Amino acid sequence: MKDDIIQLGLPSAQRLKDYRIWDSYFTPSHSRPGRDGSELIIADIERSLPAIEKGQFEKLCYFAHVGLGTTTDPDFEKLAQSTPEVILKPLQRWPNLLLGMIILNASKVEESLEALDRWLRDGPMLGVYFPGGGPGALPCSHRNFHRLVERIADLGGVIMQHTWFKTGGKQGAGESTPAELAQLAAHYPNQPFICAHAGGEWEQGNRAVAESPNILVETSGFDATAGFIDMAVRDLGAERVVFGSHLPSRSLGTELSKVIAADISERDKRMILGENYRQLLQPMLKSKAD
Amino acid sequence: MSSEDDFSRFSRRELLTASVGMASLAMISSARLQAMEDDSSEFPIIDTNVSLFRWPFRRLPLDTTAALQKKLQSLGIVQAWAGSFEGLFHRDLVGVNSRLIEECRQHKMFVPIGSVNPTLPGWEQDLQRCLAEESMLGIRLHPNYHGYTLDSPNFSRILKLATEAGRFVQLAVALEDTRTQPEQLQVPDVDLTPLPTIVKRIPQARVQLLNDRPRGSLINQLRAVPGIYFDTARVDGTDGIPNLVQSVEPGRVLFGTHSPFLIPEAALIRTHESGRFNPSALRSVLAENAERFREGNVT
Repeated sequence: MKDDIIQLGLPSAQRLKDYRIWDSYFTPSHSRPGRDGSELIIADIERSLPAIEKGQFEKLCYFAHVGLGTTTDPDFEKLAQSTPEVILKPLQRWPNLLLGMIILNASKVEESLEALDRWLRDGPMLGVYFPGGGPGALPCSHRNFHRLVERIADLGGVIMQHTWFKTGGKQGAGESTPAELAQLAAHYPNQPFICAHAGGEWEQGNRAVAESPNILVETSGFDATAGFIDMAVRDLGAERVVFGSHLPSRSLGTELSKVIAADISERDKRMILGENYRQLLQPMLKSKAD
Repeated sequence: MSSEDDFSRFSRRELLTASVGMASLAMISSARLQAMEDDSSEFPIIDTNVSLFRWPFRRLPLDTTAALQKKLQSLGIVQAWAGSFEGLFHRDLVGVNSRLIEECRQHKMFVPIGSVNPTLPGWEQDLQRCLAEESMLGIRLHPNYHGYTLDSPNFSRILKLATEAGRFVQLAVALEDTRTQPEQLQVPDVDLTPLPTIVKRIPQARVQLLNDRPRGSLINQLRAVPGIYFDTARVDGTDGIPNLVQSVEPGRVLFGTHSPFLIPEAALIRTHESGRFNPSALRSVLAENAERFREGNVT
Protein backbone atom coordinates (compact mmCIF):
# COMPACT_ATOMS: atom_id res chain seq x y z
CA MET A 1 0.00 0.00 0.00
CA LYS A 2 2.77 2.38 0.91
CA ASP A 3 4.45 1.73 -2.41
CA ASP A 4 1.20 2.45 -4.25
CA ILE A 5 0.93 5.78 -2.46
CA ILE A 6 4.47 6.77 -3.39
CA GLN A 7 3.77 5.97 -7.01
CA LEU A 8 0.40 7.82 -6.99
CA GLY A 9 -1.43 6.02 -9.77
CA LEU A 10 1.55 4.08 -11.09
CA PRO A 11 2.46 0.45 -10.50
CA SER A 12 5.55 -0.14 -8.39
CA ALA A 13 8.89 0.85 -9.89
CA GLN A 14 9.86 -2.80 -10.06
CA ARG A 15 6.75 -3.74 -11.98
CA LEU A 16 7.34 -0.91 -14.43
CA LYS A 17 10.89 -2.10 -14.89
CA ASP A 18 9.66 -5.62 -15.49
CA TYR A 19 7.44 -4.36 -18.32
CA ARG A 20 10.63 -3.37 -20.23
CA ILE A 21 8.95 -0.32 -21.76
CA TRP A 22 10.03 0.69 -25.25
CA ASP A 23 8.31 3.88 -26.35
CA SER A 24 7.54 3.95 -30.07
CA TYR A 25 6.40 7.58 -30.22
CA PHE A 26 8.65 10.05 -28.42
CA THR A 27 8.17 13.57 -29.76
CA PRO A 28 10.71 16.03 -28.32
CA SER A 29 10.26 19.28 -30.23
CA HIS A 30 8.53 17.30 -32.90
CA SER A 31 8.30 20.01 -35.55
CA ARG A 32 11.24 22.32 -34.69
CA PRO A 33 14.65 20.77 -34.07
CA GLY A 34 16.28 24.13 -33.46
CA ARG A 35 18.74 26.22 -35.42
CA ASP A 36 21.78 24.15 -34.52
CA GLY A 37 19.96 21.03 -35.61
CA SER A 38 19.03 19.66 -32.20
CA GLU A 39 18.98 22.24 -29.41
CA LEU A 40 15.20 22.23 -29.00
CA ILE A 41 15.07 18.45 -29.22
CA ILE A 42 17.69 18.12 -26.52
CA ALA A 43 15.87 20.63 -24.31
CA ASP A 44 12.64 18.67 -24.63
CA ILE A 45 14.40 15.38 -23.90
CA GLU A 46 15.80 16.89 -20.72
CA ARG A 47 12.32 18.15 -19.87
CA SER A 48 11.02 14.59 -20.30
CA LEU A 49 13.66 12.84 -18.23
CA PRO A 50 11.79 12.91 -14.89
CA ALA A 51 8.81 11.16 -16.49
CA ILE A 52 11.09 8.76 -18.37
CA GLU A 53 12.76 7.83 -15.10
CA LYS A 54 9.47 7.62 -13.23
CA GLY A 55 8.08 5.32 -15.89
CA GLN A 56 11.24 3.19 -15.93
CA PHE A 57 11.43 3.40 -19.72
CA GLU A 58 14.20 1.36 -21.34
CA LYS A 59 14.14 2.95 -24.80
CA LEU A 60 12.38 5.75 -26.62
CA CYS A 61 12.19 6.26 -30.38
CA TYR A 62 12.06 9.80 -31.74
CA PHE A 63 11.64 11.06 -35.29
CA ALA A 64 14.41 13.12 -36.85
CA HIS A 65 13.97 15.73 -39.57
CA VAL A 66 16.80 15.10 -42.04
CA GLY A 67 16.69 18.07 -44.37
CA LEU A 68 13.91 16.87 -46.66
CA GLY A 69 11.90 20.05 -46.24
CA THR A 70 9.62 18.71 -43.51
CA THR A 71 10.06 21.73 -41.24
CA THR A 72 9.19 25.38 -41.72
CA ASP A 73 12.67 26.45 -40.61
CA PRO A 74 14.83 27.25 -43.67
CA ASP A 75 17.97 27.64 -41.56
CA PHE A 76 17.59 24.16 -40.18
CA GLU A 77 16.88 22.68 -43.59
CA LYS A 78 20.07 24.22 -44.99
CA LEU A 79 22.11 23.02 -42.03
CA ALA A 80 20.73 19.49 -42.21
CA GLN A 81 21.74 19.29 -45.86
CA SER A 82 25.19 20.80 -45.46
CA THR A 83 26.10 19.24 -42.11
CA PRO A 84 23.93 16.18 -41.63
CA GLU A 85 25.92 14.96 -38.64
CA VAL A 86 24.16 17.56 -36.46
CA ILE A 87 21.09 15.38 -36.71
CA LEU A 88 22.82 12.68 -34.70
CA LYS A 89 23.48 14.78 -31.59
CA PRO A 90 20.55 13.43 -29.53
CA LEU A 91 21.50 9.82 -30.33
CA GLN A 92 25.11 10.55 -29.44
CA ARG A 93 24.16 12.14 -26.13
CA TRP A 94 21.79 9.35 -25.05
CA PRO A 95 23.09 6.30 -26.95
CA ASN A 96 21.59 3.78 -24.54
CA LEU A 97 18.22 5.46 -24.25
CA LEU A 98 17.27 6.71 -27.69
CA LEU A 99 16.32 5.04 -30.94
CA GLY A 100 15.72 7.01 -34.10
CA MET A 101 13.65 7.04 -37.23
CA ILE A 102 13.65 9.62 -40.01
CA ILE A 103 10.79 11.81 -41.15
CA LEU A 104 10.23 11.30 -44.86
CA ASN A 105 8.78 13.74 -47.33
CA ALA A 106 6.55 11.78 -49.69
CA SER A 107 6.37 14.84 -51.95
CA LYS A 108 10.10 14.40 -52.64
CA VAL A 109 10.47 10.78 -53.64
CA GLU A 110 14.00 10.83 -55.04
CA GLU A 111 15.42 12.78 -52.10
CA SER A 112 13.57 10.49 -49.68
CA LEU A 113 15.02 7.42 -51.37
CA GLU A 114 18.50 8.87 -50.96
CA ALA A 115 17.76 9.57 -47.32
CA LEU A 116 16.71 5.97 -46.80
CA ASP A 117 20.10 4.81 -48.02
CA ARG A 118 21.98 7.34 -45.94
CA TRP A 119 20.09 6.95 -42.68
CA LEU A 120 18.62 3.43 -42.69
CA ARG A 121 20.97 1.38 -44.87
CA ASP A 122 24.18 3.16 -43.93
CA GLY A 123 23.19 5.00 -40.74
CA PRO A 124 21.71 4.34 -37.33
CA MET A 125 18.02 4.91 -38.05
CA LEU A 126 15.52 2.07 -37.75
CA GLY A 127 12.55 3.20 -39.76
CA VAL A 128 10.51 6.10 -41.04
CA TYR A 129 7.75 8.39 -39.94
CA PHE A 130 5.18 9.82 -42.34
CA PRO A 131 3.68 12.96 -40.79
CA GLY A 132 0.06 14.06 -41.03
CA GLY A 133 0.86 17.73 -41.53
CA GLY A 134 3.59 20.23 -42.19
CA PRO A 135 5.51 20.86 -45.38
CA GLY A 136 5.38 18.03 -47.88
CA ALA A 137 2.88 15.85 -46.03
CA LEU A 138 0.74 13.69 -48.31
CA PRO A 139 -2.06 11.28 -47.47
CA CYS A 140 -0.74 7.73 -47.57
CA SER A 141 -3.19 6.91 -50.34
CA HIS A 142 -0.99 8.98 -52.69
CA ARG A 143 0.85 7.02 -55.39
CA ASN A 144 4.22 8.42 -54.25
CA PHE A 145 4.12 6.12 -51.25
CA HIS A 146 4.61 2.95 -53.24
CA ARG A 147 8.24 3.42 -54.26
CA LEU A 148 9.10 4.53 -50.74
CA VAL A 149 7.35 1.62 -49.04
CA GLU A 150 9.01 -0.85 -51.39
CA ARG A 151 12.44 0.49 -50.53
CA ILE A 152 11.71 0.60 -46.79
CA ALA A 153 10.57 -3.02 -47.01
CA ASP A 154 13.80 -3.96 -48.78
CA LEU A 155 15.78 -2.42 -45.93
CA GLY A 156 13.64 -4.04 -43.21
CA GLY A 157 12.58 -0.67 -41.81
CA VAL A 158 9.58 0.09 -39.64
CA ILE A 159 6.87 2.45 -40.90
CA MET A 160 5.04 4.77 -38.52
CA GLN A 161 2.16 6.58 -40.25
CA HIS A 162 0.38 9.45 -38.50
CA THR A 163 -3.39 8.89 -38.67
CA TRP A 164 -6.55 10.57 -37.45
CA PHE A 165 -10.26 10.21 -38.01
CA LYS A 166 -11.37 13.75 -37.18
CA THR A 167 -14.96 14.71 -36.66
CA GLY A 168 -15.85 17.10 -39.43
CA GLY A 169 -13.14 15.79 -41.74
CA LYS A 170 -9.43 16.23 -42.28
CA GLN A 171 -7.80 19.40 -40.98
CA GLY A 172 -5.21 19.39 -43.71
CA ALA A 173 -4.68 17.92 -47.13
CA GLY A 174 -1.69 15.90 -45.92
CA GLU A 175 -3.56 14.03 -43.23
CA SER A 176 -4.13 10.29 -43.45
CA THR A 177 -6.88 8.15 -41.99
CA PRO A 178 -6.58 4.58 -40.73
CA ALA A 179 -8.80 3.56 -43.65
CA GLU A 180 -6.27 5.00 -46.10
CA LEU A 181 -3.46 3.20 -44.32
CA ALA A 182 -5.42 -0.05 -44.60
CA GLN A 183 -5.58 0.48 -48.38
CA LEU A 184 -1.84 1.05 -48.60
CA ALA A 185 -1.00 -1.86 -46.31
CA ALA A 186 -3.06 -4.24 -48.43
CA HIS A 187 -0.46 -3.88 -51.20
CA TYR A 188 2.39 -4.99 -48.91
CA PRO A 189 1.14 -7.85 -46.75
CA ASN A 190 4.64 -8.71 -45.51
CA GLN A 191 5.49 -5.16 -44.42
CA PRO A 192 4.31 -4.06 -40.95
CA PHE A 193 2.79 -0.61 -40.61
CA ILE A 194 2.12 1.25 -37.37
CA CYS A 195 -1.09 3.25 -37.32
CA ALA A 196 -0.06 6.16 -35.09
CA HIS A 197 -2.73 7.28 -32.61
CA ALA A 198 -5.07 4.47 -33.73
CA GLY A 199 -6.86 7.19 -35.65
CA GLY A 200 -7.39 9.34 -32.53
CA GLU A 201 -11.08 8.50 -32.63
CA TRP A 202 -10.17 4.93 -31.88
CA GLU A 203 -13.57 3.31 -32.10
CA GLN A 204 -13.46 3.89 -35.85
CA GLY A 205 -9.69 3.58 -36.04
CA ASN A 206 -9.61 0.09 -34.56
CA ARG A 207 -12.40 -1.02 -36.87
CA ALA A 208 -10.73 0.43 -39.96
CA VAL A 209 -7.57 -1.65 -39.51
CA ALA A 210 -9.08 -4.73 -37.91
CA GLU A 211 -8.92 -6.75 -41.12
CA SER A 212 -5.36 -5.65 -41.92
CA PRO A 213 -3.12 -8.07 -40.04
CA ASN A 214 0.06 -6.18 -40.98
CA ILE A 215 -1.16 -2.99 -39.23
CA LEU A 216 -0.48 -2.38 -35.56
CA VAL A 217 -2.07 0.52 -33.68
CA GLU A 218 -0.04 2.98 -31.62
CA THR A 219 -1.57 4.26 -28.40
CA SER A 220 -0.68 7.95 -27.99
CA GLY A 221 -1.89 11.35 -29.05
CA PHE A 222 -5.42 11.64 -27.68
CA ASP A 223 -6.97 12.06 -24.24
CA ALA A 224 -6.87 9.10 -21.85
CA THR A 225 -10.32 8.00 -22.94
CA ALA A 226 -11.31 4.88 -21.06
CA GLY A 227 -11.82 1.64 -22.95
CA PHE A 228 -9.43 2.12 -25.86
CA ILE A 229 -6.92 -0.58 -25.03
CA ASP A 230 -9.65 -2.99 -23.97
CA MET A 231 -11.29 -2.62 -27.38
CA ALA A 232 -8.01 -2.85 -29.29
CA VAL A 233 -6.98 -6.04 -27.50
CA ARG A 234 -10.43 -7.53 -28.01
CA ASP A 235 -10.64 -6.73 -31.73
CA LEU A 236 -7.00 -6.75 -32.89
CA GLY A 237 -5.20 -8.80 -30.26
CA ALA A 238 -2.53 -7.50 -27.91
CA GLU A 239 0.15 -8.44 -30.43
CA ARG A 240 -1.07 -5.63 -32.68
CA VAL A 241 -0.83 -2.78 -30.17
CA VAL A 242 2.34 -0.76 -29.45
CA PHE A 243 2.84 1.84 -26.75
CA GLY A 244 3.76 5.44 -27.45
CA SER A 245 4.26 8.27 -24.94
CA HIS A 246 4.10 11.41 -27.09
CA LEU A 247 6.27 13.03 -24.41
CA PRO A 248 6.64 15.80 -23.55
CA SER A 249 3.65 17.49 -25.22
CA ARG A 250 1.49 14.67 -23.88
CA SER A 251 2.38 12.96 -20.64
CA LEU A 252 3.30 9.81 -18.80
CA GLY A 253 -0.05 10.06 -17.03
CA THR A 254 -2.18 10.30 -20.14
CA GLU A 255 -0.33 7.74 -22.18
CA LEU A 256 0.90 5.10 -19.77
CA SER A 257 -2.41 5.01 -17.91
CA LYS A 258 -4.14 3.80 -21.06
CA VAL A 259 -2.21 0.54 -20.80
CA ILE A 260 -1.63 0.04 -17.10
CA ALA A 261 -5.27 0.75 -16.18
CA ALA A 262 -6.77 -1.41 -18.92
CA ASP A 263 -8.62 -4.57 -17.96
CA ILE A 264 -6.19 -6.89 -19.75
CA SER A 265 -3.66 -9.47 -18.61
CA GLU A 266 -0.17 -8.63 -17.40
CA ARG A 267 1.12 -10.64 -20.35
CA ASP A 268 -0.80 -8.36 -22.74
CA LYS A 269 0.58 -5.27 -21.00
CA ARG A 270 4.16 -6.51 -21.43
CA MET A 271 3.53 -7.12 -25.12
CA ILE A 272 2.01 -3.68 -25.68
CA LEU A 273 4.57 -1.79 -23.62
CA GLY A 274 7.64 -3.29 -25.22
CA GLU A 275 7.69 -6.78 -26.69
CA ASN A 276 5.71 -6.03 -29.82
CA TYR A 277 7.83 -3.04 -30.72
CA ARG A 278 11.09 -4.88 -30.09
CA GLN A 279 9.90 -7.61 -32.39
CA LEU A 280 9.13 -5.10 -35.15
CA LEU A 281 12.56 -3.54 -34.80
CA GLN A 282 14.38 -6.85 -34.69
CA PRO A 283 15.42 -7.03 -38.37
CA MET A 284 16.94 -3.55 -38.29
CA LEU A 285 18.54 -4.00 -34.89
CA LYS A 286 20.06 -7.26 -36.07
CA SER A 287 21.38 -5.72 -39.29
CA LYS A 288 22.97 -2.84 -37.36
CA ALA A 289 24.55 -5.28 -34.91
CA ASP A 290 25.97 -7.33 -37.78
CA MET B 1 -11.73 0.71 6.85
CA SER B 2 -14.84 2.23 5.29
CA SER B 3 -14.79 5.20 2.98
CA GLU B 4 -16.48 7.28 5.68
CA ASP B 5 -13.68 6.45 8.07
CA ASP B 6 -11.19 7.42 5.42
CA PHE B 7 -12.86 10.76 4.88
CA SER B 8 -13.09 11.57 8.57
CA ARG B 9 -9.42 10.86 8.98
CA PHE B 10 -8.65 13.08 6.00
CA SER B 11 -10.74 15.97 7.22
CA ARG B 12 -8.89 16.05 10.50
CA ARG B 13 -5.43 15.82 9.08
CA GLU B 14 -5.85 18.08 6.11
CA LEU B 15 -6.69 21.01 8.33
CA LEU B 16 -3.38 20.55 10.05
CA THR B 17 -1.28 20.69 6.95
CA ALA B 18 0.59 23.81 6.10
CA SER B 19 -0.82 26.30 3.68
CA VAL B 20 0.95 26.17 0.41
CA GLY B 21 1.59 28.75 -2.20
CA MET B 22 3.83 29.66 -4.99
CA ALA B 23 6.86 29.46 -2.78
CA SER B 24 6.34 25.77 -2.31
CA LEU B 25 6.52 25.01 -5.98
CA ALA B 26 10.10 24.09 -6.34
CA MET B 27 12.38 22.30 -8.68
CA ILE B 28 13.54 19.26 -6.79
CA SER B 29 15.22 16.10 -7.83
CA SER B 30 13.38 12.83 -8.25
CA ALA B 31 15.47 11.32 -5.50
CA ARG B 32 14.58 14.08 -3.08
CA LEU B 33 10.89 13.84 -3.90
CA GLN B 34 11.02 10.12 -3.37
CA ALA B 35 12.60 10.63 0.03
CA MET B 36 10.05 13.25 1.01
CA GLU B 37 7.20 11.02 -0.12
CA ASP B 38 8.61 8.24 1.98
CA ASP B 39 8.34 10.55 4.95
CA SER B 40 4.66 11.19 4.39
CA SER B 41 2.23 8.56 5.54
CA GLU B 42 -0.49 9.26 3.02
CA PHE B 43 -1.79 11.44 0.21
CA PRO B 44 -5.56 11.55 0.69
CA ILE B 45 -7.14 13.01 -2.42
CA ILE B 46 -10.31 14.88 -3.36
CA ASP B 47 -11.45 14.41 -6.96
CA THR B 48 -13.55 17.45 -7.88
CA ASN B 49 -14.65 16.13 -11.26
CA VAL B 50 -16.39 12.79 -11.74
CA SER B 51 -19.75 11.88 -13.27
CA LEU B 52 -22.11 9.06 -12.43
CA PHE B 53 -24.36 6.94 -14.68
CA ARG B 54 -23.91 6.23 -18.37
CA TRP B 55 -21.94 8.23 -20.93
CA PRO B 56 -24.45 8.59 -23.77
CA PHE B 57 -22.21 7.36 -26.59
CA ARG B 58 -20.50 4.19 -25.38
CA ARG B 59 -20.11 2.03 -22.32
CA LEU B 60 -17.16 2.96 -20.12
CA PRO B 61 -15.21 0.46 -18.03
CA LEU B 62 -16.03 2.26 -14.75
CA ASP B 63 -19.56 3.42 -15.49
CA THR B 64 -21.16 1.67 -12.54
CA THR B 65 -20.89 3.61 -9.31
CA ALA B 66 -19.56 0.62 -7.36
CA ALA B 67 -16.78 0.02 -9.87
CA LEU B 68 -15.86 3.70 -9.97
CA GLN B 69 -15.81 3.89 -6.19
CA LYS B 70 -13.56 0.86 -5.93
CA LYS B 71 -11.11 2.27 -8.46
CA LEU B 72 -11.00 5.76 -6.95
CA GLN B 73 -10.49 4.40 -3.46
CA SER B 74 -7.68 2.19 -4.72
CA LEU B 75 -5.94 5.37 -5.87
CA GLY B 76 -6.27 7.07 -2.48
CA ILE B 77 -9.22 9.26 -3.46
CA VAL B 78 -11.40 9.74 -0.40
CA GLN B 79 -14.04 12.10 -1.78
CA ALA B 80 -15.34 12.71 -5.30
CA TRP B 81 -17.63 15.52 -6.41
CA ALA B 82 -20.09 13.86 -8.75
CA GLY B 83 -22.23 15.27 -11.50
CA SER B 84 -24.50 13.17 -13.67
CA PHE B 85 -24.10 12.25 -17.32
CA GLU B 86 -27.90 12.18 -17.38
CA GLY B 87 -27.80 15.93 -16.87
CA LEU B 88 -26.52 16.46 -20.39
CA PHE B 89 -29.62 15.53 -22.35
CA HIS B 90 -32.45 14.74 -19.94
CA ARG B 91 -35.03 17.48 -19.47
CA ASP B 92 -36.46 16.00 -16.27
CA LEU B 93 -33.70 17.37 -14.09
CA VAL B 94 -35.69 16.71 -10.92
CA GLY B 95 -35.41 13.03 -11.75
CA VAL B 96 -31.77 13.37 -12.77
CA ASN B 97 -30.75 15.07 -9.55
CA SER B 98 -32.89 12.78 -7.38
CA ARG B 99 -31.18 9.71 -8.81
CA LEU B 100 -27.79 11.35 -8.31
CA ILE B 101 -28.56 12.13 -4.68
CA GLU B 102 -29.79 8.60 -4.02
CA GLU B 103 -26.72 7.08 -5.68
CA CYS B 104 -24.46 9.25 -3.57
CA ARG B 105 -26.34 8.22 -0.44
CA GLN B 106 -25.54 4.63 -1.24
CA HIS B 107 -21.91 5.34 -2.07
CA LYS B 108 -20.70 7.71 0.55
CA MET B 109 -17.49 8.87 -1.06
CA PHE B 110 -19.46 10.71 -3.74
CA VAL B 111 -20.79 14.21 -3.11
CA PRO B 112 -23.70 15.12 -5.41
CA ILE B 113 -23.31 18.19 -7.58
CA GLY B 114 -26.65 18.80 -9.25
CA SER B 115 -27.29 19.81 -12.84
CA VAL B 116 -29.14 23.00 -13.69
CA ASN B 117 -30.22 23.97 -17.20
CA PRO B 118 -31.30 27.61 -17.42
CA THR B 119 -32.92 27.08 -20.81
CA LEU B 120 -35.63 24.93 -19.22
CA PRO B 121 -38.80 26.32 -17.67
CA GLY B 122 -38.60 26.14 -13.90
CA TRP B 123 -34.81 26.10 -13.66
CA GLU B 124 -34.98 28.32 -10.60
CA GLN B 125 -36.82 25.53 -8.79
CA ASP B 126 -34.09 23.06 -9.79
CA LEU B 127 -31.52 25.43 -8.36
CA GLN B 128 -33.53 25.87 -5.20
CA ARG B 129 -33.86 22.12 -4.75
CA CYS B 130 -30.14 21.60 -5.20
CA LEU B 131 -28.95 24.35 -2.93
CA ALA B 132 -31.66 24.82 -0.29
CA GLU B 133 -33.52 21.54 -0.04
CA GLU B 134 -30.63 19.17 -0.70
CA SER B 135 -27.88 21.41 0.66
CA MET B 136 -25.53 20.61 -2.19
CA LEU B 137 -22.11 22.19 -2.11
CA GLY B 138 -22.53 23.51 -5.61
CA ILE B 139 -24.02 22.90 -9.01
CA ARG B 140 -22.62 21.90 -12.39
CA LEU B 141 -23.44 23.67 -15.64
CA HIS B 142 -23.10 22.45 -19.24
CA PRO B 143 -23.71 25.57 -21.35
CA ASN B 144 -22.54 23.95 -24.59
CA TYR B 145 -24.72 20.88 -24.24
CA HIS B 146 -27.67 22.96 -23.03
CA GLY B 147 -27.40 25.54 -25.78
CA TYR B 148 -26.62 28.88 -24.16
CA THR B 149 -23.62 31.17 -23.92
CA LEU B 150 -22.06 32.74 -20.86
CA ASP B 151 -23.38 36.17 -21.80
CA SER B 152 -26.89 34.83 -21.32
CA PRO B 153 -28.53 36.75 -18.44
CA ASN B 154 -29.52 33.47 -16.83
CA PHE B 155 -25.90 32.42 -16.42
CA SER B 156 -25.17 35.55 -14.42
CA ARG B 157 -28.36 34.99 -12.47
CA ILE B 158 -27.41 31.42 -11.55
CA LEU B 159 -23.97 32.52 -10.49
CA LYS B 160 -25.40 35.31 -8.37
CA LEU B 161 -27.94 33.06 -6.68
CA ALA B 162 -25.40 30.33 -6.00
CA THR B 163 -22.96 32.87 -4.59
CA GLU B 164 -25.62 34.41 -2.35
CA ALA B 165 -26.30 30.91 -1.04
CA GLY B 166 -22.58 30.47 -0.36
CA ARG B 167 -22.17 27.73 -2.98
CA PHE B 168 -19.90 27.22 -5.94
CA VAL B 169 -20.56 26.66 -9.62
CA GLN B 170 -18.72 24.11 -11.73
CA LEU B 171 -18.65 24.98 -15.40
CA ALA B 172 -17.87 22.05 -17.68
CA VAL B 173 -15.97 23.64 -20.56
CA ALA B 174 -15.89 20.38 -22.51
CA LEU B 175 -16.66 16.75 -21.98
CA GLU B 176 -14.97 15.30 -25.05
CA ASP B 177 -12.33 16.41 -27.53
CA THR B 178 -14.24 18.05 -30.37
CA ARG B 179 -12.20 15.97 -32.83
CA THR B 180 -13.64 12.69 -31.58
CA GLN B 181 -17.29 13.61 -31.06
CA PRO B 182 -20.09 11.89 -32.99
CA GLU B 183 -20.44 13.45 -36.41
CA GLN B 184 -24.13 14.25 -35.91
CA LEU B 185 -23.72 15.66 -32.40
CA GLN B 186 -20.83 18.08 -32.35
CA VAL B 187 -20.54 20.28 -29.28
CA PRO B 188 -17.92 23.04 -29.27
CA ASP B 189 -16.07 23.93 -26.09
CA VAL B 190 -17.70 26.66 -24.03
CA ASP B 191 -16.56 30.13 -25.07
CA LEU B 192 -15.14 31.54 -21.85
CA THR B 193 -14.55 35.05 -23.20
CA PRO B 194 -17.38 36.69 -21.17
CA LEU B 195 -16.53 34.88 -17.93
CA PRO B 196 -13.90 37.18 -16.38
CA THR B 197 -16.16 40.21 -16.65
CA ILE B 198 -19.14 38.35 -15.20
CA VAL B 199 -17.25 36.86 -12.27
CA LYS B 200 -15.72 40.24 -11.42
CA ARG B 201 -19.23 41.67 -11.06
CA ILE B 202 -20.20 39.11 -8.41
CA PRO B 203 -18.01 39.41 -5.32
CA GLN B 204 -17.28 36.08 -3.61
CA ALA B 205 -18.35 34.08 -6.67
CA ARG B 206 -16.52 30.76 -7.05
CA VAL B 207 -16.45 29.17 -10.50
CA GLN B 208 -14.44 26.06 -11.23
CA LEU B 209 -13.71 25.29 -14.87
CA LEU B 210 -13.83 21.57 -15.59
CA ASN B 211 -11.98 19.86 -18.42
CA ASP B 212 -10.54 23.09 -19.68
CA ARG B 213 -7.28 23.00 -21.58
CA PRO B 214 -5.94 26.48 -20.86
CA ARG B 215 -4.36 28.11 -23.89
CA GLY B 216 -4.25 31.26 -25.94
CA SER B 217 -4.57 34.80 -24.73
CA LEU B 218 -7.80 34.15 -22.81
CA ILE B 219 -5.93 32.23 -20.13
CA ASN B 220 -4.31 35.44 -18.94
CA GLN B 221 -7.72 37.05 -18.45
CA LEU B 222 -9.00 34.01 -16.57
CA ARG B 223 -5.95 33.94 -14.35
CA ALA B 224 -6.48 37.58 -13.45
CA VAL B 225 -9.82 36.92 -11.78
CA PRO B 226 -9.46 35.36 -8.32
CA GLY B 227 -12.91 33.72 -8.36
CA ILE B 228 -12.05 31.46 -11.28
CA TYR B 229 -10.56 28.05 -10.50
CA PHE B 230 -9.22 25.22 -12.65
CA ASP B 231 -9.12 21.45 -12.60
CA THR B 232 -6.45 19.05 -13.79
CA ALA B 233 -8.47 16.61 -15.91
CA ARG B 234 -7.33 17.68 -19.39
CA VAL B 235 -4.24 19.74 -18.57
CA ASP B 236 -1.77 17.67 -20.54
CA GLY B 237 1.97 17.76 -21.15
CA THR B 238 4.50 16.28 -18.79
CA ASP B 239 4.73 19.54 -16.84
CA GLY B 240 1.33 21.00 -17.72
CA ILE B 241 -0.12 20.92 -14.21
CA PRO B 242 2.93 22.48 -12.47
CA ASN B 243 3.02 25.14 -15.16
CA LEU B 244 -0.65 25.96 -14.57
CA VAL B 245 -0.18 26.07 -10.81
CA GLN B 246 2.82 28.32 -11.22
CA SER B 247 0.91 30.71 -13.43
CA VAL B 248 -2.03 31.41 -11.13
CA GLU B 249 -2.47 32.53 -7.56
CA PRO B 250 -2.08 29.86 -4.89
CA GLY B 251 -5.02 27.57 -4.33
CA ARG B 252 -6.68 27.85 -7.72
CA VAL B 253 -5.91 24.46 -9.27
CA LEU B 254 -8.01 21.61 -7.92
CA PHE B 255 -7.47 17.95 -8.69
CA GLY B 256 -10.09 16.47 -11.01
CA THR B 257 -10.02 13.38 -13.22
CA HIS B 258 -13.16 13.53 -15.39
CA SER B 259 -13.57 9.85 -14.72
CA PRO B 260 -15.05 7.55 -15.74
CA PHE B 261 -14.83 9.14 -19.22
CA LEU B 262 -11.10 9.58 -18.73
CA ILE B 263 -8.88 7.08 -16.93
CA PRO B 264 -8.46 8.43 -13.38
CA GLU B 265 -4.80 7.44 -13.15
CA ALA B 266 -4.03 9.86 -16.01
CA ALA B 267 -4.51 13.11 -14.10
CA LEU B 268 -3.11 11.62 -10.91
CA ILE B 269 0.20 10.63 -12.49
CA ARG B 270 0.43 14.00 -14.24
CA THR B 271 0.46 15.78 -10.88
CA HIS B 272 3.82 14.30 -9.96
CA GLU B 273 5.55 12.92 -13.05
CA SER B 274 7.67 16.01 -13.71
CA GLY B 275 9.06 16.02 -10.19
CA ARG B 276 8.36 19.73 -9.86
CA PHE B 277 6.02 19.59 -6.86
CA ASN B 278 7.31 19.07 -3.38
CA PRO B 279 4.94 17.03 -1.16
CA SER B 280 3.37 20.14 0.30
CA ALA B 281 2.50 21.52 -3.13
CA LEU B 282 1.22 18.14 -4.16
CA ARG B 283 -1.10 18.00 -1.16
CA SER B 284 -2.47 21.42 -2.06
CA VAL B 285 -3.44 20.33 -5.55
CA LEU B 286 -4.67 16.90 -4.54
CA ALA B 287 -6.88 17.96 -1.63
CA GLU B 288 -6.31 21.17 0.27
CA ASN B 289 -7.30 23.55 -2.52
CA ALA B 290 -10.55 21.64 -2.98
CA GLU B 291 -11.23 21.74 0.73
CA ARG B 292 -10.78 25.49 0.87
CA PHE B 293 -12.80 26.00 -2.29
CA ARG B 294 -15.59 23.83 -0.92
CA GLU B 295 -15.78 25.78 2.32
CA GLY B 296 -15.59 29.15 0.63
CA ASN B 297 -12.34 29.85 2.43
CA VAL B 298 -10.59 31.02 -0.68
CA THR B 299 -8.05 33.58 -1.68
